[in-house]
Amino acid sequence: MAGCVGLSAALCQEGVSVVQVLLFSLFNGLLYGMLLFMLSSGLTLIFSMMGVLNFAHASFFMLGAYFAYEISRLIGFWPALFFAPLGAAVIGAVIERYGLRTVHKFGHVAELLFTFGLAFVIEELVQMIWGKTNKPYLIPSSMDFTLFTWQGLDYSAYRVFMLLTSVGIFVALYWLLTRTRVGLIIQAALSHPQMVGALGHNVPRIFMYTFGFGCGLAAIGGVLGGNVLGTEPAMAIQLGPIVFVVIVIGGLGSLGGALIASIFIGILTNAAVSYDVPFGPFFALFGVSSATDIGNDLVRMTSGSVSSVLPYLIMVLMLILRPRGLFGNRDV
Amino acid sequence: MNTSYLRKLLLGTLLGGLSVLPAYAAEPVRLGLIEPFSGPIASIGLETLDNFNFAVEAVNKRGGVLGGRMIEMVPLDNAMNAEKSTQQVKKAIDMGIRVVVQGVGSSNAINIIEYVNKHNKRNPDQTVLYLNHAAVTTEFTNELCSFWHFRFDANVDMKVAALATQMGRDPKVKNVYLINQNYAFGKSTQEASNKYLAERAKHIKIVGDDLIVPFGKVQDFTPYVAKIKGANADTVLTGNWGPDIIRLVKAVASAGLNVQFYTLYGGLPTTVNAVGTEDGMAVHMKQVTEQLVEDDDRKDLQPYFESYLDKFKRTWYSDRIRFTVEMFAKAIDKAGKEDPEAIARALEGMTFPGPHGQTMVMRPDDHQIQLPMVISEMSRDVPKRFIYEGKDLGIGWKTMNWVSREDLTLPTTCKMERP
Repeated sequence: MAGCVGLSAALCQEGVSVVQVLLFSLFNGLLYGMLLFMLSSGLTLIFSMMGVLNFAHASFFMLGAYFAYEISRLIGFWPALFFAPLGAAVIGAVIERYGLRTVHKFGHVAELLFTFGLAFVIEELVQMIWGKTNKPYLIPSSMDFTLFTWQGLDYSAYRVFMLLTSVGIFVALYWLLTRTRVGLIIQAALSHPQMVGALGHNVPRIFMYTFGFGCGLAAIGGVLGGNVLGTEPAMAIQLGPIVFVVIVIGGLGSLGGALIASIFIGILTNAAVSYDVPFGPFFALFGVSSATDIGNDLVRMTSGSVSSVLPYLIMVLMLILRPRGLFGNRDV
Repeated sequence: MNTSYLRKLLLGTLLGGLSVLPAYAAEPVRLGLIEPFSGPIASIGLETLDNFNFAVEAVNKRGGVLGGRMIEMVPLDNAMNAEKSTQQVKKAIDMGIRVVVQGVGSSNAINIIEYVNKHNKRNPDQTVLYLNHAAVTTEFTNELCSFWHFRFDANVDMKVAALATQMGRDPKVKNVYLINQNYAFGKSTQEASNKYLAERAKHIKIVGDDLIVPFGKVQDFTPYVAKIKGANADTVLTGNWGPDIIRLVKAVASAGLNVQFYTLYGGLPTTVNAVGTEDGMAVHMKQVTEQLVEDDDRKDLQPYFESYLDKFKRTWYSDRIRFTVEMFAKAIDKAGKEDPEAIARALEGMTFPGPHGQTMVMRPDDHQIQLPMVISEMSRDVPKRFIYEGKDLGIGWKTMNWVSREDLTLPTTCKMERP
């Protein structure tokens, strides 16, 4: 049992090596992290281009899932993968044109409050249209088969498809922003809006497209994630905070940072559960044990029981030690 | 306020003299139903209200209570907030309501118990009764027990004991993995699971025991699935509800693990619908309820079941709301007046027909109903299929076995203070 230090007892009994658990955590963390990236890429894009921190971003993720549910019932999953994000993007663009643009002149706080309110409005609308309970949005049967089995767990073709799609999104976005004319104009519009305007470009329209595009990206996440995580009105609220953690850790406005931070959070939460390090020995240093009156609950805690809170802890530490995040070029 | 009521009132007035009497006789007995009717889990509150109205309708059709008075449910929204639950009790009292009903959320229930206790002590002439149809924290009928509180649902210990008894009967269940939510309810489920598996399923080994961050905070259950696999578990026992069970089941099914799920709340209609037929069947979903109306021993309830399905286009989930109303009606008739203390005394020790020829008893010592429970399994081969929002899911529940009332009668630590 010497090789089992810190390793979950169950995995250890099976003779699974630490390296295997590590590989497992890395791979599963990557799968989950790339879903987070799909969500956060749109958010960080909108922020880097427009300086707007969109609190309603996860709501577009939710809209994507609900649209995909309806469309896939009618004409199938593949059209849904195209039309659901398109629908969300149009809604996003309309909201930018008739809502956000008006609020823009009152500064960032007004924009923040606007999107904050928007998130609640969208949630309420979703409840009115689709009801308050879960919708049975399921994985398309064409991809619901086992692609490969590793360490006794099946991986469906759908999960691999999700992974490939998100990698594709990253590559396409990176190329779009740094290698195309459109990307250059978008970037210039942020730092020198007057100059870009003077050159004959319609800056407000560029912002509108950017916002719509970012919302569409979130909706792609919803189309692909809604059938894995469950499609319900609370899904936006549950995922909203973690997306902010991703872009704060990665650095506000940095696409590469969002990618690294997403994968990091995915792997961290996976490893915390897989290794399940007990906190008892740590608290024992302070004289707390299961026999003491105060804190005997702490002794029984393990890293697994706090895994989904760890990202928030890291965000707090990041804000204290390096407010601009891993790859950000401006402070929060 | 319909026309026949007005006509009666008018007639009564015209007849003069005793004009107050007919008007009084028609005045309804109101029950204040304190549940979430707004916010993220309003659907559960609204479904509860439907179920209560349906049960009350049956009593009213038979002529109501106290020689002709109708029962009326008064919905009071607590938005799933403990503080608002207290406010709604106060509002009910101001409206002259003498009986409040609640079940969704033990955190709301505890506030109601405390407020009702305090109020009744200060206002002995204007007491209030609390009927609990679903808040299952065992302490409410142990150290926190109150004369004014009656629970018509099995508590956590009873539900877990029923599941553990059934697991003990099945030699194929060898290695059990426990997953629960890290808050009051999940922890008491965890504790009860350890206790009753040790007592009632001696051949079973607990190979894993995890608490997760509750209420949908865990998005990715894959690492838990890996742990279940690594621990060589053949069975998962969980008290998880809502997204925490939906995602767990989906993750286990998608990883192709061959385990069966014994659950406290896996059979909630919204959960069954969200999990879907394929995944629910893949994990051999099992649930524990008061009874299964599809069983032959409940033929008497089948008309009720059918008319419920007709009206709401969904399968009736559980019996407890029906017998909460029925036992209350019986008690108020026995008491002969709308007086909480008299109704409470009538409820103590009251018996009511339950499944499998057994009777249910409202135990006077702690006001916890004592009843047999049924363990059922999701199956494609069932007499009555599960319907949700008018849609047939192609599966239903099939009784595996049941656990007698005697086997589920657990000791209580309650020291009841009576007025």
